[in-house]
Amino acid sequence: MILNGVEIRDNFAEAFPMVGTRLIVTADTPEWALTAGRTTTGFATSVIGCGCEAGIERTLSPEETPDGRPGVSLLIFAMDFGSLKKVVPLRLGQCVLTCPTTACYAGVEGGKRVPLAKTIRYFADGHQISKKIGEKRFWRLPVMEGEFVCDEDTGSVEGVGGGNFLILARSRAAALHASEQAVAAMGKVEGVILPFPGGVVRSGSKVGSKYKGLFASTNDAYCPTLRGTRPSALPPEVGSVLEIVIDGFSFEAVSEATKVGVAAVCAVGAEGGVVAVDAGNYGGNLGPFHFKLREIMKDSAGGTA
Amino acid sequence: MSGVSLKPRAPFAARVDLSGITPAVTCPLTLRELEHLPVPHGGRSVKLAELFFIEGAPDGVLLIEIGDERLDGVGAGMTEGELIVDGRVGAWAGRGLSGGVLRIAGDAGDFLGAEMSGGRIELAGTAGARAGAAGSGSRRGLSGGVLKIGGNAGPRAAERQRGGLIVIAGDAGEGLATDMIAGTVSVAGAIGPLAGRGMKRGTIIAQARPELPAGFVDTGVHELVALRLMARRVAELAGPLNGWTSARRLVGDTLMGGQGEVLVPG
Repeated sequence: MILNGVEIRDNFAEAFPMVGTRLIVTADTPEWALTAGRTTTGFATSVIGCGCEAGIERTLSPEETPDGRPGVSLLIFAMDFGSLKKVVPLRLGQCVLTCPTTACYAGVEGGKRVPLAKTIRYFADGHQISKKIGEKRFWRLPVMEGEFVCDEDTGSVEGVGGGNFLILARSRAAALHASEQAVAAMGKVEGVILPFPGGVVRSGSKVGSKYKGLFASTNDAYCPTLRGTRPSALPPEVGSVLEIVIDGFSFEAVSEATKVGVAAVCAVGAEGGVVAVDAGNYGGNLGPFHFKLREIMKDSAGGTA
Repeated sequence: MSGVSLKPRAPFAARVDLSGITPAVTCPLTLRELEHLPVPHGGRSVKLAELFFIEGAPDGVLLIEIGDERLDGVGAGMTEGELIVDGRVGAWAGRGLSGGVLRIAGDAGDFLGAEMSGGRIELAGTAGARAGAAGSGSRRGLSGGVLKIGGNAGPRAAERQRGGLIVIAGDAGEGLATDMIAGTVSVAGAIGPLAGRGMKRGTIIAQARPELPAGFVDTGVHELVALRLMARRVAELAGPLNGWTSARRLVGDTLMGGQGEVLVPG
């Protein structure tokens, strides 16, 4: 399959079940909401080293938030519910509670409950105030700046982590430009985040290593500087490869994000230096979710098989 | 019968205790069973059909067509469905209500919504004493749900309230929220003397600074995000908190070690 001169390889991304939640963080200004969002989702690129994967889903206008102030919606994913219950209050306590003017609300209604203020309310040392009207409880914590308002807990969903595609380009600049276009387009898809820096990974990994104790190591088949020395997946004209990793609330959301992202890369096209789009997997036996690139892109306009 | 309509045959000669006559009880019954339902009337028990004409009504609804101040315990113990009174009711309306909706088009007597724990009461008229309060000997008043009073509320409304929300569109009498444990009460009109005495926690939302006992401390005017949140999230508070971004926070009753608060426009 070739779209705008870009080869869509007959490959699939292999993804895993993850448990995710959404937080709505608001602040007095959009800038401070974004600061809180970036801090809370910082150091959360991969569960392997960070304990969770997190990102800013999108920014919210004052009309969309519970308290009528500008905000951001954040998605946080972990491998299981137990770890999610640990990482969310930690990040809430260190990154949202501490950030000037913020408040934090539940962004998911259903599913198992992930504690928010339920855990960090004790920071208020007995001065915390609870309000439960209807079914929802929120807390007010007196802090030096004023009051921190936070919902009791938030819901969770069984999501999908590790959807991905690889952008094979002639040069580093071309790969970077194509990936930036993809990230911008994918930001409009609801229910997904791209947990890596700026949404892009430059150091995709393979499973295992020659060194004992390392679970993952550089994906040598896609390293352009190793071409010829190792079995390579790169044709001679490829000079740089970047990967985009997607975590989402559902298979459909990740699939949609993949479609939008690959379409944006193809729009840059061969003229923009993109050679091919590929995907990362482990043979298909490890992860239950398979995102087959050609199937996802089959009804994209202008395609030739 | 799915829904039931009750129309008094004549003005009541004595007080009638309707507690237990709820939509959950009446709706599954047949007309014949309904007619024989025993109801305390003065010192004796009479059949429901002796007091009311019984007819059908929409599914899940219990309708009392003409209210009477001698009808006590209307909707007491309700758990689901809708009970509508086209008129006034006596004491103990909605006592211990835990679910469903009780709508009263007229006034209510004392102890409206006392010890209710969920659901919703909407009163169009004025309420007697101790609305949403604890009954005699009980430690806890209203603990959940919403009690809306369209007119004024008598003395000691929200006494020992434990949770939930009471919204009073008119004035509140003396001793509002006495010994309040938690919860929220909003008063749009004037608040009588001695409000909040013995308050442990909870919130009184007032439109003007009321006369408060000596144990209340003025913490000053603060910008509170919680005000905006409540105004948007709680439909009943959208009016009372409309436009509020800051409030004067008066904390008490500190003489009792309390941390309750009275919020007034700042």
